[in-house]
Amino acid sequence: MSTGLNDDDRKTFAGIADVLIPAAEGMPAASEIGIQGEILDKVLGFRPDLRENLLRGLRAVKGKAAREAAEFLNKTDGTAFGAISLAASAGYYMDPKVRKLIGYPGQENRPYNADETPEYVRNGMLKVVSDRGPIYKPTPK
Amino acid sequence: MASAGSDRRGESADVLIIGAGASGSLAAKHLSENGFKVVCLDQGPWVDNKEFAGARPEWELMAQKRWHPNPNVRDLENDYPVDTSESDVNPLMYNAVGGSTILWAAHWQRFMPSDFRVKTLDGVADDWPFTYEELEPFYEQAEEEIGVSGLAGDPAFPPGKPLPLPPLPIGKIGMKAAEGMNKLGWHWWPGPNAIPSKSYRGRNACVRRGTCLTGCPEGAKASMDLVYWPASLKNGVKLITGARVKEVLVNDRGLATGAVYIDRQGRERTQKAGIVIVCANGIGTPRLLLLSTSKRFPNGLANSSGLVGKRLMMHPYAAVTGVFEEPLESWLGPAGQTIQSMQFYETDKSRGFVRGAKWQVMPSGGPLGMRAAYGGRPLEEAWGANLHRNTKRVFGHAFEWGIIAEDLPEESNRVVLDPKLTDSDGIPAPKLIYKNSENTKKLIDFHLARAQEAMKAAGAVSMTITPLMRDCGWHLMGTARMGEDPASSVIDQWGKAHDVPNLFIYDGSTFVTSSGFNPTGTICAVALRCVKHLIANRRDQEIAA
Ligand SMILES: Cc1cc2nc3c(=O)[nH]c(=O)nc-3n(C[C@H](O)[C@H](O)[C@H](O)COP(=O)(O)OP(=O)(O)OC[C@H]3O[C@@H](n4cnc5c(N)ncnc54)[C@H](O)[C@@H]3O)c2cc1C
Ligand code: SF4
Repeated sequence: MSTGLNDDDRKTFAGIADVLIPAAEGMPAASEIGIQGEILDKVLGFRPDLRENLLRGLRAVKGKAAREAAEFLNKTDGTAFGAISLAASAGYYMDPKVRKLIGYPGQENRPYNADETPEYVRNGMLKVVSDRGPIYKPTPK
Repeated sequence: MASAGSDRRGESADVLIIGAGASGSLAAKHLSENGFKVVCLDQGPWVDNKEFAGARPEWELMAQKRWHPNPNVRDLENDYPVDTSESDVNPLMYNAVGGSTILWAAHWQRFMPSDFRVKTLDGVADDWPFTYEELEPFYEQAEEEIGVSGLAGDPAFPPGKPLPLPPLPIGKIGMKAAEGMNKLGWHWWPGPNAIPSKSYRGRNACVRRGTCLTGCPEGAKASMDLVYWPASLKNGVKLITGARVKEVLVNDRGLATGAVYIDRQGRERTQKAGIVIVCANGIGTPRLLLLSTSKRFPNGLANSSGLVGKRLMMHPYAAVTGVFEEPLESWLGPAGQTIQSMQFYETDKSRGFVRGAKWQVMPSGGPLGMRAAYGGRPLEEAWGANLHRNTKRVFGHAFEWGIIAEDLPEESNRVVLDPKLTDSDGIPAPKLIYKNSENTKKLIDFHLARAQEAMKAAGAVSMTITPLMRDCGWHLMGTARMGEDPASSVIDQWGKAHDVPNLFIYDGSTFVTSSGFNPTGTICAVALRCVKHLIANRRDQEIAA
């Protein structure tokens, strides 16, 4: 399905995305991972509800310098800013390279052994709690 | 007993259940295995595990819309809108086979003995018509059927039978929080969850994906479509999905005779039954009763007390999130609770309020969730180089002490029919009028202060405080309360409406007080107690011909 975004829209989006997510602290800028291309299409594919607000925002600031555009939308159209910033940050953090850099494996499957005695039982941490005795009020007679 | 899948349109059922959520699913299973011919109507569809985004990169993005717990945000056809313009809190729910348990976190809590005796102990609200001890065997049976994981011996509760499954891992976040609690000498215990730590009765073991609140892709978490429906369908229950009930019908004798519903083709249909059980949750149930007016019941069905819709309780929720130097892998599940605390649960009047709250430690999700609440603030605060700095500092290094505050029943907090708003079938939608009381405000302030101490003791380097989360109405209770006296309650202790002898309510609407605990363990135990009583007394039960 076409997202209805033209090249100008994508360029505006990339500019704002880089203001929000610049190259800094060892992390790449949003446009360096291609936020305005396939990533944006993917985000809008998952969240078609964002499209209208995102487009309205991008078109309202067409031609403005990126920082000015971002500031303007943040002040004047929270919904559009919300859609643009969510699309940018969601796309960014879905990217495998970015995930690797922040040490996030995604919501992974992590095996464990349910029969193993938990550490807090082995080391006596929980025993101090039980040793203090009951703390509930019984049913009044 | 009829065979599975037979078409009973036009045919009368022994029992009609409205709502296939926690209480309705449990009731359908028990009635059908005891030979009752059951029809269950739910406005929602079946949800396939594969639809959940938990195991995919887009998980957090989808969590903010498709799998959002607020029906007004999700805005699906199977949802109904709720007017919250006069409510401090948004109600959360899911409308499908399994009901809200599709999205629930599966924290499994019993109430404490004092919860059933609030009037006697604290001089406020009311006592329940039964005690903790009377409910205990039903807790035990429900825990067995549903598959609860946890560790026996919690000194916050009376001793009882161990849970059927060993506890889930508490992770680094649980250990960290527990260390803090031990420094202070405060209570903590590994949290019980209705999530199997080993494969259990056809469900897979939890793999700690941590996405329980947006649906469990592993088929592990106890959502009632998986727990009860396979057996109920085998027993011949006819489950009609996409069936939105608009009215419970009554005859001249004042007995319920069935219900009118609208199917997904927009056709109006009638399902007849000898007995009707409403399980549409604390908002859906009063909505339906208020919609069901007749000459005999002009103010809504079973509403001679005027209490239908009143005494809504939703458990205001506050939280303290702590950030730690060391990595805690705080995206790991279950979510689900890792540890809990009842240190400040029971009333201590010297605090200046009555009742208390349960605390729980929960993981803090992925990198995107952290950004959700930043709109409108100066750009540089949340974005730019700060974004990267904050992510590195907080992501994977934070967890939350959540506080579930007991709110007391007040008649002014209520569900009414909205004069204008309707669902997609044109049926009037509910409106909530709900304000926090002074007692609740004082309670939350006290608990937030203590939770900050707990975070500090655990070694948090910084904290964020959420005084009251607006999207926190996970627990919907009290809008058709039970009691002995028909003048001051809607149903009796067996779920039977005082005004309509073959109409029952089994969901959280029946709660007399809210406790400070996640309610579904008690919803299930109470529904089980009610349905077993109905089965045992079937010969004396009045039914519509
Ligand atoms: C995000 C989230 C997290 C939660 N976490 C926890 C937790 O950790 N622990 C806990 O104890 N509880 C938790 N809860 C609450 C728990 O899910 C509910 O208490 C429980 O599911 C309520 O059961 P019920 O039978 O009353 O209603 P529900 O499970 O809500 O089911 C009601 C059903 O009725 C149907 N219905 C309503 N009206 C109509 C109508 N007019 N026609 C046809 N069908 C209708 C709905 O479609 C729905 O399927 C959570 C809830 C949410 C939303
Ligand atoms: S943590 Fe366990 S219950 Fe929760 S979604 Fe993952 S597998 Fe399911």
